[in-house]
Amino acid sequence: MTTYVFSFVFPFLLATALLQGVAALSGRKLRGWGAALVLGLIAAGIVLLPLDGLLAARWLISFNANFSIPLTAILFSKVVEPFFKIRLLDDKSILTCWIFSLTAGAVLYPMALGLGQMDPYAAGWGFSWLFVLAFSVTVVLLALKNRFAVVLMAAILAYNLRLLESTNLWDYLVDPLLVVVACVGIGSKLVARCKA
Amino acid sequence: MAVLCGMVLLRLSACASEPLNLEPLNLKPLMHRRLVIILFLATLGLYAWPVYHWVSAGIRDMGTFVADPVKTPIPPEAPFIYREFVSPDSGSGVVHVGSICELPQGRLAASWYGGTREGARDVAVFLSIKGPEKASWSRPKMIVDRVSASRELSRYVKKVGNPLLFSGPGGRLWLVYVSISVGGWSGSSLNVKWSDDAGITWSNSLRLTLSPFFNISELVRNRPLPLSRSGFAVPIYHECLGYFPEILWLHPGAAATDIHFKKSRMAGGQSFIQPSVVALGPSAATAFYRCLSHEKAIGTAVTGDAGATWSEPQLLPLPNPDAALDALLLSDQRILLAFNDSPVNRETLRLAVSHDQGRHWTRIATLENAPGGEFSYPYMIRTQDGQIHLAYTWDRKRIQHVVFNEAWIEAQMKGTIQ
Repeated sequence: MTTYVFSFVFPFLLATALLQGVAALSGRKLRGWGAALVLGLIAAGIVLLPLDGLLAARWLISFNANFSIPLTAILFSKVVEPFFKIRLLDDKSILTCWIFSLTAGAVLYPMALGLGQMDPYAAGWGFSWLFVLAFSVTVVLLALKNRFAVVLMAAILAYNLRLLESTNLWDYLVDPLLVVVACVGIGSKLVARCKA
Repeated sequence: MAVLCGMVLLRLSACASEPLNLEPLNLKPLMHRRLVIILFLATLGLYAWPVYHWVSAGIRDMGTFVADPVKTPIPPEAPFIYREFVSPDSGSGVVHVGSICELPQGRLAASWYGGTREGARDVAVFLSIKGPEKASWSRPKMIVDRVSASRELSRYVKKVGNPLLFSGPGGRLWLVYVSISVGGWSGSSLNVKWSDDAGITWSNSLRLTLSPFFNISELVRNRPLPLSRSGFAVPIYHECLGYFPEILWLHPGAAATDIHFKKSRMAGGQSFIQPSVVALGPSAATAFYRCLSHEKAIGTAVTGDAGATWSEPQLLPLPNPDAALDALLLSDQRILLAFNDSPVNRETLRLAVSHDQGRHWTRIATLENAPGGEFSYPYMIRTQDGQIHLAYTWDRKRIQHVVFNEAWIEAQMKGTIQ
């Protein structure tokens, strides 16, 4: 049940972000609790819209059931930002997230899709080196006062609560869309730096 | 939807590089030393929980193979072989991927998929029950189709495919089946259902997340091995960019609806799928693979640590036309193999026996041989009474059921029966 309810979170945030985008394109500035409530209600209406026997949110989940916690956290941070003028995740923590995701993706996906005999994905079921690594990264980032540490804490909390359909820790830490976002993010940063 | 998602993702990725017009909330003072210590302790607690769960739930070790689940002593008997069809003629449609298992009181259950064509949207998974004694197979009953799978999984399901039916402790009947939301077979995911009343009622489907890449490209075909701790080692395979065999370790939890599972790889690469695994002892097993490469020969590998690691696949001197095969352990530790004896087609279905754990083979019988026909996807079990049941696709029209005993195999070895 918890998993089912949580499956609406990412679609809801995505719908809210889309609505914000539409509002921004039409020149409207959405600020404060009132705007957040209105947009939130519209977004909730969208994700709960029945389409051909399925709720709209579940259509999205049909194609990817496991949006990682860092991707959800970044989307949440991005959605909250214009409403309340706050940045939950600063540039440093987002850049850390990009690097973390790219590294994890580079290790995980080629091997999980058949490159070589070893499958790192198997380490995500039950206690393994992956847990030790994720713990170590979290502790180091905490020592560095990097807010991405809190996102990693949220990921292990979500894993403990089985908030995603997956029972594998990897899926809580990274997903293919996050890797794509990280690639584009780092790429655009590099391009901007080259131009400067 | 994809375009909209793309726009949002681009916006997200840009947020790190764009200068912000907003005044960022200064959270830095919040990350002071005391909070960091609290967060560190919280992290310790958060990671202690999965460790505790891993140790206490007993999912660390799934157990060893049960090499010979048939316990009843088999009295000597005369050789016999008996053939029948499980499914009615599918007419212009197709049936495929049959599996069979034993139920309590000597009954049998068989499952397969059928529809207008392979991969069609009207494909459904069917169940038929037989027995006890000489009773005929019951009228097929649909267990799941794309509509019911979509409803149970609360997601879009484009089509369903490969079912695997097997029975477990407590008489529970398990069904692992493929569902596809996008694309063809490489878009497959695995789902599990179970029945505690011999297939009359079924649980809702449970989707298994087995791949980090959108959870796709996991399929099932061959008979599972029972494990010493009430679980199963289910041979599965991956087919997307790589094509390789894997094992799904399935373990029922304490609660009736609680299932623990994990997956391990048997080999990498792009050559071998659809493993058929024969347990030779608690830790020893031999696997036989369908071959996708140009060698067109059956692959094999062994394990000595209960499936944790597998040897590099080797090729056997038996052809394989890129088709499923099945191997079964006989009571005297010989291995029986059902396979398409051709590198190019599925017109011939033969049986072979190995005395040396799969290294050398003797062809003992031809079950089917008809030009232009297709006799494929053999699936064998040995029931408590010692009889061997073989189910296979008969020209894509029906599921054939062949029953024989080990005395018949002996007779075939001696060449006394053709």
